[in-house]
Amino acid sequence: MLSRRPLLAVLCASVLALLGCSGDKKGPDPAASGAPSGGPSAAPRKQAGKELLLFGWSEYVPEAVIDGFKKETGITVHYETYASNEEMLSKLLAGGTTFDLIQPSEYMVEALIKQKKIETIDAANVPNMKNVAADMRGFPHDPEFKYCAPYMAGAVGIVVNTDKVKDPIKGYKDVFQPKYKGRIVVVNDAREMVSWAFETLGIAPNDVSAETLAKAKPVLAPWMKLVKVFDSDSPKTAMLNGDVDIGVMWNGEAALLYEQDKKYAFTLAEEGSHLYIDHLCIPTGAKNKLGAEMFINYVLRPEISKLISDKFPYMNPNAEARKLLSRAQRNNPASYPPRWFGNPEDVIKGMPDLAKRGDSFRDIGKLATDIDKLVTDLKAQN
Amino acid sequence: MSDENPRRRPLGPFGGALAAPLLLWLLTLVVLPNLILVGYSFCDRDDLGQVVPSFSLEAFARILDPTYLHILVHSLWLSGIATALCLVIGYPVGYFLGRAKESWRNKLLVVVMIPFWTSFLVRTYAWMILLRSEGLINGLLQITHLTSAPVDMLYTEGAVLIGLVYAYLPFTILPIYASAEKLDGALVEAAYDLGARPWRVFVHVILPLTRPGIVAAALFVFIPSIGMFAIADLMGGGRVPLVGNVIQNQFGQARNWPFGAALGTTLLVLFLALLAWALHEDGEEALHR
Repeated sequence: MLSRRPLLAVLCASVLALLGCSGDKKGPDPAASGAPSGGPSAAPRKQAGKELLLFGWSEYVPEAVIDGFKKETGITVHYETYASNEEMLSKLLAGGTTFDLIQPSEYMVEALIKQKKIETIDAANVPNMKNVAADMRGFPHDPEFKYCAPYMAGAVGIVVNTDKVKDPIKGYKDVFQPKYKGRIVVVNDAREMVSWAFETLGIAPNDVSAETLAKAKPVLAPWMKLVKVFDSDSPKTAMLNGDVDIGVMWNGEAALLYEQDKKYAFTLAEEGSHLYIDHLCIPTGAKNKLGAEMFINYVLRPEISKLISDKFPYMNPNAEARKLLSRAQRNNPASYPPRWFGNPEDVIKGMPDLAKRGDSFRDIGKLATDIDKLVTDLKAQN
Repeated sequence: MSDENPRRRPLGPFGGALAAPLLLWLLTLVVLPNLILVGYSFCDRDDLGQVVPSFSLEAFARILDPTYLHILVHSLWLSGIATALCLVIGYPVGYFLGRAKESWRNKLLVVVMIPFWTSFLVRTYAWMILLRSEGLINGLLQITHLTSAPVDMLYTEGAVLIGLVYAYLPFTILPIYASAEKLDGALVEAAYDLGARPWRVFVHVILPLTRPGIVAAALFVFIPSIGMFAIADLMGGGRVPLVGNVIQNQFGQARNWPFGAALGTTLLVLFLALLAWALHEDGEEALHR
C-alpha cells in the first residue's frame, strides 16, 4: 500500500531520477574554471607572476592578443568574461577570486576609485600610455590615467536596415515612431535608455535626479511600447535574423553589421550622444600587478591595439594604432562616426571638436536604483 | 513501501553518521546561503549597492510598491499557466510511461531525459531559431501558403510560455510516472468489475491515487519557473519583466542587493508555505485512508 507520506516519497524519487540524468544545466562555474593566479607573492620586485587573471567583457579580447602576450612574456592569461559593468562589480565585490585585470567603463572606474577598489598604475611600467589619442584624454573620472588605461571606446547609435526602412532616420524621434512598432531592438541598459530621453529633452546625461527622471518618464513611456527586443549582449542578432529593422546599439556591434552588409547604415542620434571608454584597471590586492602592467603596456602597442580593432571594430583610442588601420576600417561609420570625426580621412588626426563627443557617464551611486525602477515600471506596463 | 515494514532493521548507534555528508551539504549550501539572504534583506546598502550591516525595512517596503507587486502577481500568474500546461501535457505521458511494459519503460524514460544532456541555453536558442520571423516555422507556413506574412512568435509572452513549458515538462513527467508506476492495477480492475465507466474510473480511482505525483509535479514546475529569468530575456526579448529579472537586476544593474535579497526571501517564504501546505494535505489524506 501507499506509504503514509506518498507525496514526500514521490518528490524524493523524482529528484533522484533527475540527478541521475540531468547533469550540469548551467555549464561550469566560472569561478571554478580559472586557476588562481599563481606566482609567489613574495617574488623579487622585478619578477612578474606566470599567470594573469583577466576579468573582461565577453567578445572583447582577441585570442591573438592573449597568445602573443604569452609568447613574448611567458605569462598565461586566463580570460573570464562578464556582460555588464555592474555584473563585474558584484563579482569583484563578492570576492572569492582575485583578479589581476578588469575592464570597467568610465563611470565604473570613477566609482571604483572612490571606493579604493583599484590600484594606481606604475607609469614607469606603462610607457606606451603616450600612444593614447588626445581625444581620449582628460576625462573627469581619471584625467591623468593614474588608475586606468583606455582599451576601446565607443558610443550608442542608431542602425537602420535601409532595405526595409526607406525614410531617413536621424535621431531618436525618427526611430520611435508608431509605424515602427515591433521593428526595433535596443540595448537592455536602463541608464542608456534614460540618457536618450535626456538628450531629447536637452538634459545632460549626468543630471540624474528625481525631477529629471520624472521629466524623462513621459518621453520614454511611449518609446518602450514600440520596442520588440531588449538585448545588450548581442543586439545585432535580432537585426541579422530579420526580426527587426532598426536598432539602437553599441557602435562595435553596428560596425560588425556594416562589415557584413553595407545596407546597415549607422548614425549617432542628432539629439546628441555620449562617448564611453572601457579601460584596463588593476583591482586592489591583485597578485600579479607587474604582469598586469606588462599586459596594459602590451595592449597599448600600436600593432597590438590594431589587432583588437581587426576583430572587434569599436573606436580605437590609440593614436598610433589608428594610423595602421586600413581605409575600410576608417571608413566604417559605426567605428568612427562622421558626426564626431568628420571626414574618414581625418580619423588619424582624431576628433577635431572634443565638445561634440558629449559628456561621458559619471558615477551616480544609489540613483542607479531609481533609473532601474523607472525602466522596469515602464516595461511592466507593456 | 509501508512505514511499518516488519523486516526493517533499526539503524545502529553510528547509523546517523551515514546522513552526515548530506546534512553538511544541506547546511553549508542550502541553509546557510538562505540565512545570509534573509539577513541581507533586512540591511541597508552603500553606493555600490553592497550590503551594510545596519537594520532597515526599506527593502521590504519597496516590494509593496505597485510596480513590483504588479510584476510579482504577473509572474505568479504566468508560472501558474505554465504549470497547468505542463500537467495537461505531462500527465498522459507520465501515466503512459508508468503503465508501459517493463522492458520499454527505461528506454522511454531515457528519451524523456535526453534533452537534459544538452545545455539549457542551447535548447532555448534552438527554439529561437524555430520561432523567429525568418525561422523554420514561419518558412513552412509561408511555403505552404497558410500565411502570407511572417507571424510574430518569438519575443512574445507566448514564446516565454513555450520556453517555460518546454524547460520544465520533464519535471512534470517524472513524478507522475513515479506514482503511476506504483498504482495498483487491481484497484482499477475492481472499479471496472463494479461497473464504473472509464471516465469514472479515471476521476474516482486513478486521479486520486496519482494525486501525490500531480502535486509534486506542480511544485516542481511552479517553483523554479517563478525565479527563471533567462527565458524571459531570450524568448520574450526582455520586454515583460518577471520577478526573476527584477531580482537579477538588483545585483546586475540597480545596485540594490538588499532589495534583491528581500524579493528572494519573499519567494522563499511563499515556497515554504506552499510546500508545508502540500505536505500537510498529504498527511491528512493518508490519515483518512
